[in-house]
Amino acid sequence: MNLAHLHLLLNHFPSVGTVIGLGLFVGALVTKNDGLERTSMLVLLLIAVSALPVYFSGNAALEAIQSRPDVSKQFVARHQDVALLALALMGITGALAWLGLWQFRRNARPAIWNVYGILLFSLLTVALMTVTATMGGEIRHDEIRPAQDVSQAEGTVSAMGAYVLAHGWVWPTCETLHFMGLCLLLGTVLTVDLRMLGIMKSVPLADLRGLIPWALAGFSINLVTGMVFFIATPTQYTQNIAFYWKIVFMLLAGVNVLYLTFDESWALPEGVDSPLTAKIIAGAGIFLWLGVIFFGRMLPFIGNSF
Amino acid sequence: MGLFVWLEHTRFAIWLHESESVFAFPMVLLLHTIGMGLLVGLATVVNLRLLGCIPRVRLAPMLKLFPLMWLGFWINAVTGVLLLIADATNKLANPVFYIKLVFVALGVLSIIAIRSHVFRDPSLDNAPISSNGKALAAASLVLWATAITAGRLMAYLGPRHAAWMIEILGRHS
Repeated sequence: MNLAHLHLLLNHFPSVGTVIGLGLFVGALVTKNDGLERTSMLVLLLIAVSALPVYFSGNAALEAIQSRPDVSKQFVARHQDVALLALALMGITGALAWLGLWQFRRNARPAIWNVYGILLFSLLTVALMTVTATMGGEIRHDEIRPAQDVSQAEGTVSAMGAYVLAHGWVWPTCETLHFMGLCLLLGTVLTVDLRMLGIMKSVPLADLRGLIPWALAGFSINLVTGMVFFIATPTQYTQNIAFYWKIVFMLLAGVNVLYLTFDESWALPEGVDSPLTAKIIAGAGIFLWLGVIFFGRMLPFIGNSF
Repeated sequence: MGLFVWLEHTRFAIWLHESESVFAFPMVLLLHTIGMGLLVGLATVVNLRLLGCIPRVRLAPMLKLFPLMWLGFWINAVTGVLLLIADATNKLANPVFYIKLVFVALGVLSIIAIRSHVFRDPSLDNAPISSNGKALAAASLVLWATAITAGRLMAYLGPRHAAWMIEILGRHS
């Protein structure tokens, strides 16, 4: 099995999963079922998370097959362009779904704008995912490929990457923002995890809930700036073992934060210690985010990136 | 100045800079990043609270975060000196390095001021944050953002690194 194979395997999760998530969400709205609504938001969130490795493995797949004569560069470029747009929309859907879960816990109901937002963005995502999947299929199946050629050989994603490399200010700016996002994310997550571990016990955990959207903001900054690095120089990441570990740790840390959205220990009043499970989760959270920083920092040293 | 240049030529500094081991330069850099996350990250949480972004949290228990900030500070003071002696000639010739040091010092001072003025207030948690307290918090956020920016740009605006960066980017385009 190579990375092209991995891409073919993983790509079914976001394309099929968004349809399922949207179906569950609409079903929950029609039947006014809160439990189902929360489940559908969780599905949409997990699908958004799974879309990230699918996108990365796509670049690795491209490197594996691009030397073949029957692979159309135009079709690859079109597929990649739509895939990035689908990924962005899926990311927004996932963020809104996560916010919905957070609001369920805080206010017992998600805000109405958020419900419409999830509906709108998941519909757009389903549409874009369908186009992405069709175009991806056309790369290797010329029997379903339309006859007319595409005039533009270089896609938008390649053009964006070229722009980053041609303009010296973009890379340092994104790196600086990446460090600020790191501080915001680590500071907020650490504060919540330390409370669960027993520091600042006189603060009811529920009061710290307001911090979690700031963690999401830090994460979003780093996701966007990280994508800029990846789009500009994909090979220094797809061929870098530290990058794969960073993604694995990031996904695990994401699941760890998700636990905070569901766990009942949020109801802990002032002065009460967290149960052992919550402490283990909190300790694991600190370990996982430090792991993300470790592999990010090691990208130039274990791997070959700069 | 002469001291750091002398230190740069000690066997330890050469090992730090030249060794292939991940325990040399990469590990010092990693610790410097984690120290930054601790210090600036937790300071950001306190500043967000002072600015009213997480109003429900009481301030008094947040005093417990300060020792961790100082832990971050000391990690970075030690690793910062190590990073300096590994590459003293270049860093000391780089104006951005001095800008970073100034803003780190101002950032630390802003935390000390918040600790000694806002947190010493006997009406803490009983009265709204004074406008002075809010101004300190906003200034602290800006100072740290500037320190991080200067720290990052040291790698690009220095006399040696700019040429190195252009070469690397050229290889990828």
